[in-house]
Amino acid sequence: MSTNATGDRQCWRCRQEVTALVCPRCEAVQPFSGEPDLFAVLGLPRRLVVDPVDLEQRYHETSRLVHPDRFQTASARERELSVDASAAVNRAYRTLRDPVALGRYWLTLNGVALGGGQQGVPPALAAEVFAVQEQLEELRAARAEDAPSHRREVSERREEVATRLVRLRGELVELYGADGGPALEDLRQRLAEIAYLQTLLGDIEETLEGGAA
Amino acid sequence: MSRIIGIDLGTTNSLVAFLGEHGPTVVPDPGTGARLLPSAVAFLPSGEVVVGERARELAVERPLDTILSVKRFMGLGFEHVTAADRQRYRFVEGGEGIVRFDVGGRVVTAPEVSSYILRELKRWAEAALGEAVTQAVITVPAYFNDSQRQATKDAGRLAGLEVLRLVNEPTAAALAYGLDQGAEGVVAVYDLGGGTFDVSILKLRGGVFEVLATNGDTRLGGDDMDEHLATLLLAELPAGLGSRPDVRARARVAAERAKRVLSDAPRAEMVLTLPGREPVHRAVTRAELEDLIREIVQRTATPCRRALKDAGLEPADVREVVAVGGATRVPLVRRTMQELFQRPPLVALDPEEVVALGAGIQAGILGGSRRDMLLLDVVPLSLGIATMGGVFTRLVDRNTTIPVSVKETFTTAVDNQTAVDIHVLQGERELAADNRSLARFKIPIDPLPAGVPRLEVTFLVDANGILNVTAGDLRTGRERSVEVKPSYGLSDEEIERMLEESFDHAETDVQERQVREARVEADMILNATREQLTRAAALLEPAEGEQIRAALHRLAALRDGEDYLAMRDAIEALSRVTEPFARRIMDRSLNEAMAQRRLEEL
Repeated sequence: MSTNATGDRQCWRCRQEVTALVCPRCEAVQPFSGEPDLFAVLGLPRRLVVDPVDLEQRYHETSRLVHPDRFQTASARERELSVDASAAVNRAYRTLRDPVALGRYWLTLNGVALGGGQQGVPPALAAEVFAVQEQLEELRAARAEDAPSHRREVSERREEVATRLVRLRGELVELYGADGGPALEDLRQRLAEIAYLQTLLGDIEETLEGGAA
Repeated sequence: MSRIIGIDLGTTNSLVAFLGEHGPTVVPDPGTGARLLPSAVAFLPSGEVVVGERARELAVERPLDTILSVKRFMGLGFEHVTAADRQRYRFVEGGEGIVRFDVGGRVVTAPEVSSYILRELKRWAEAALGEAVTQAVITVPAYFNDSQRQATKDAGRLAGLEVLRLVNEPTAAALAYGLDQGAEGVVAVYDLGGGTFDVSILKLRGGVFEVLATNGDTRLGGDDMDEHLATLLLAELPAGLGSRPDVRARARVAAERAKRVLSDAPRAEMVLTLPGREPVHRAVTRAELEDLIREIVQRTATPCRRALKDAGLEPADVREVVAVGGATRVPLVRRTMQELFQRPPLVALDPEEVVALGAGIQAGILGGSRRDMLLLDVVPLSLGIATMGGVFTRLVDRNTTIPVSVKETFTTAVDNQTAVDIHVLQGERELAADNRSLARFKIPIDPLPAGVPRLEVTFLVDANGILNVTAGDLRTGRERSVEVKPSYGLSDEEIERMLEESFDHAETDVQERQVREARVEADMILNATREQLTRAAALLEPAEGEQIRAALHRLAALRDGEDYLAMRDAIEALSRVTEPFARRIMDRSLNEAMAQRRLEEL
């Protein structure tokens, strides 16, 4: 499989051999068909270990070359290519800088669906999700005099879930750096757990904010 | 290529700037030298449209025919008009879609009203630059949704300006500061204007301005403060008087003036002068003002906290907090900024000019004169579609860097369906109905059994933060046309029609005047030349008569046409060939006069 953003080919404008998003000779933005490889878009190899400082630098450099601001006075075709390329660069940066998004993308690249697998949510987590939903329901239904104690309970739960998410994300980054990288099924399960907790945290925050308004 | 201008199209005031050799410059009114154009447009019964300072003065006499804060209505639907709005203006009732004002017997939409302001600024710029201006960058509140952005773009088009880019106001301000101070690191921009509040968190690094998060309120600003302060003055009036639109308009003017005074002084005096009455006075202290506006100012806190949270930052991570917008001159606002971000606000640049300066810089960037700077902005509100059961399915999350594109595959639910309807909305709520409807897109498909068609739809938010939808048939690989029905906007056809009726009309008026003036001049020179040819034929040189007659016939032929430029050329040609002849005629009459005198002297 090719790891180039556009596949090996010639620049549409100057016929130079080009593998990147931008022609190294004439700086013309290259078209791509289908989904570009998000690593290649920023000139990176397909690896789960991404250095954030290097990533940001590549993002800024590539954006300078492809951003629509640079092509305001160019032809309609060049303007269109620049928008497409710029959107791809933005997506690449958004995906690679976040370990969770990166993990999900890694699964897609390897043909694994996040919601697939036999087990689904670990039973322990399912029980917890259920317990939290119940707490939230109690807070929503609470009478004025009981609300503060319910609110306190839910706030504590929020802290708990948020801390756990931070820990899980940290573990994910460690896993990426380990020899051989993660097994796909292990990665899938971890990401599924994070996704569940994130939804849960969102629900908690919405309920707390809704009560405050 | 002519210069690109940068416009700050504000709620209360608008400005125009461009990037010159020594940095960005605000362009003044060529007549008065004023740098701020009041965003006021008055529609007189005579059909005349008055813009700026004079319109603002007219607002007290003709409050219903003078639109003062048109920006508040950009991209809004009739159902968004509030009871307070109804007290100030007359609307065309019962309408669907876009808001329409009834002013001086005319019906106008917000983009049309804004286009008059833009045309005036265009005129200022053309006077300063000495050339025609056709392209512009216009700033919009960062928290403007798609409809509001589209409305701003439409206003530009109606004013004869190609809007190359819409830039978010706080981002523009950051550009101006970045250029001025060479700042690096995380910056918060707190922009409280006349009618809108925005907060943006940016990261500045090596000439790249990356917006991390933005939040705000498109109906919160200094105007609300004036309104509250005016109630103190109105309370001094006899019952019944305070609800008259003209009285309220005068009270707001007095309140606005007092608010400015109170930024520097502890007390101010509001005076309301009504024709045929004793002036009404009301003294007001800064403490009183602060009590009145505390709730308004506090409403800026939540957007600030949300923006920080979305950026994944704490107040301590912010290196600088920049004050933008006239309302940030109010001391209570500055104190609130300091509390929120734990550092005194930066006010090195005039908060009323900084957005325009930034717009001028972005115009320069697009024109290619600043290749070292790059702006990476975000979409302020999540974008999605209505799916089964009225659920809002998010396609693009808020604060995603633009441009961003998302592809979705659609199919059909019933056999032989001939089109797919997609309803696009913007907002953060779970239910589709709770979010702002942007547009409905209708895409034709071949009639086939349910589930067989495969339609790939691309939702692209461009660098202006405006949504573009394209579709392709995955089975045939063919592009599909997309019919757009904006929920609260003008369709392309409507804009075309308005252009024909108003702008092109104005253009034709100008052209007609030019033709008429040229015709008058042509008649003068034609008549004079014909008379001289008969009266002074003897003074003609050989061949000269032929030349003059040829030029004369050419002008006479053009005289009844519409091409005033050709007419002017012919007038000039005729006056050139007749010049020696005319001089000889003059000499002869002088000589005759002299001879006459000598005879008399004898």
